[in-house]
Amino acid sequence: MPIHEKSLIRPEDLETHDDMVLDGVDVSGHWSTFIKTRVVSDYNEALEEEIAALPGGEHIHRCWQCGSCTNSCTVNAVNPDFNPRYWIYLIRMGMESELLRDKDIIWQCVSCNKCTYACPRDVFPEGVMKATSHWLERKGHTPKSPSTHFDEVFTEQVVATGKIEESRTMRRFFTRTKQALMQDWMVEMVKRMLRGLPVGMLTRMGLATLVAPRTSDWSRASAAIQEYIDEQHEEQENALNLAQLVETAKRDAA
Amino acid sequence: MTTKDKYKKVAYYPGCALEGSGHSYNRSTKAVGKALGLDLVEVKNWNCCGAMEVKNIDPKIQTYLSSRVMSTAANEMDMDVVMAPCNGCYHNLKKAEYDLKNDAESAEVVDRLSKKAGHKTYESGQVETIHALDWIKDTIGEEGLKSRVKNSLSGIKVANYYGCMYTRPRHIFPEKDQGPGSESTSKPHFMDDLLAAAGAENVDFPLKTACCGGAHTLSDSDMSTKLVLNILQAAKLAGADVIATECPTCHSGLEMHQIRAEKTLGETVDIKILYFTQLLGMALGLKARKVGVHENISDSIRFLKEKGLG
Repeated sequence: MPIHEKSLIRPEDLETHDDMVLDGVDVSGHWSTFIKTRVVSDYNEALEEEIAALPGGEHIHRCWQCGSCTNSCTVNAVNPDFNPRYWIYLIRMGMESELLRDKDIIWQCVSCNKCTYACPRDVFPEGVMKATSHWLERKGHTPKSPSTHFDEVFTEQVVATGKIEESRTMRRFFTRTKQALMQDWMVEMVKRMLRGLPVGMLTRMGLATLVAPRTSDWSRASAAIQEYIDEQHEEQENALNLAQLVETAKRDAA
Repeated sequence: MTTKDKYKKVAYYPGCALEGSGHSYNRSTKAVGKALGLDLVEVKNWNCCGAMEVKNIDPKIQTYLSSRVMSTAANEMDMDVVMAPCNGCYHNLKKAEYDLKNDAESAEVVDRLSKKAGHKTYESGQVETIHALDWIKDTIGEEGLKSRVKNSLSGIKVANYYGCMYTRPRHIFPEKDQGPGSESTSKPHFMDDLLAAAGAENVDFPLKTACCGGAHTLSDSDMSTKLVLNILQAAKLAGADVIATECPTCHSGLEMHQIRAEKTLGETVDIKILYFTQLLGMALGLKARKVGVHENISDSIRFLKEKGLG
């Protein structure tokens, strides 16, 4: 590799020439790798404010780009393109189109909070990742991620009953994301579970599937939470100017 | 080590996972408590703490849900301490406590929702939330355990796996990192201490607080499988026979993705996965069934028999 920072630059922005002379100097070959000039003109000046308006994104303005988040990141170790420090930079600069190039992986944050632990500025990068993936979905840049579907299925159940019954959550998640419920590794898992013949546990699980466990006297809490969710949803729609976005799209279509 | 008498009777908050996939953790925690003469009083009519999922939808709703559990323990049961063995519940109650103390907006939302729901608003400081590790460590301690051990865990090499939620982010655990005797957020050791007191040989395991990808067990299974495989292989390389766990999400994540790694990546790692309470319970002379070993997916019955346990 001619330059060791090469992995930080997108491959399509690197240029080498087999045969090139500039001002009498031979600049052929990988010794003279060029980085293409980049001009950014489509800034979204509201980007940082929009992310900050969503839960988790509130403290993004504190970032001073030390990179502790990316350095400690669990997902970055698996996929080097997963770079919270860089995304926070792009958001604060308003470089929306550059951010959108990574739109399909931002939701993959596993919320291990290593970044939040390491961050010297209390940016709560884990929250910023959640806010950013929600922003991408709300703005229509990406479909809802499997993670968001799971969060919604889970939250709906908690709001309705006060408790979670895991097999119900799983079934609803698989239905909503249109996946087969019994993948072969799950079949294997169930087989191994049955081997210990935990009769009491199976009976209890079977009963829980028929009659969901619930917190009693939950209806008032449920209504209060739902009211709060709706109210927040509306506030966020306004902060993200979603009504206007829909209007513009309609006008463009017409 | 001073023992804390106020932990001898605590409000017990099992949480949803311990009534489902984590049932063997529930069973073994109760059995260990009974064997040690500690009193667990289950929180009345509890609700979900909000877990990771509700927090992702809106952190303040998670704060409200966790606060309702603490409000019940404090105002309806007159308890000072809530013990949550699940890392997720423990983390969320701690986080709610922190937010209610430090964020006026969260406190306002919680107050509003509590009034509408018709119960007393939880005020920060009414209860102390502890983990099952604190509970045993501070009431019985290593010396107390040593004198109660009937079947030593000697000859069992254990990698202690604490996971994410028990130590991160550190600001919600003000009692940790307070010098000798306190728990460390970077190198936690309470589980190591307890299992060593029960005779186990703890291996030097570098991934104690690594992430198992539990948040995306189902929604990004390939990522979870990679992260789990990493943990299993590191524990095996460190020489462990068993990974001891303290969280139902980590535990079932390790078990599920151990199988998934076999099925999808062809990587088999032969290592047993047991809750630390199951190991402690058997050391205290309880039968394997009493601590729910048969309810685990990972099969360790033959291994335990060979070691003269259960």
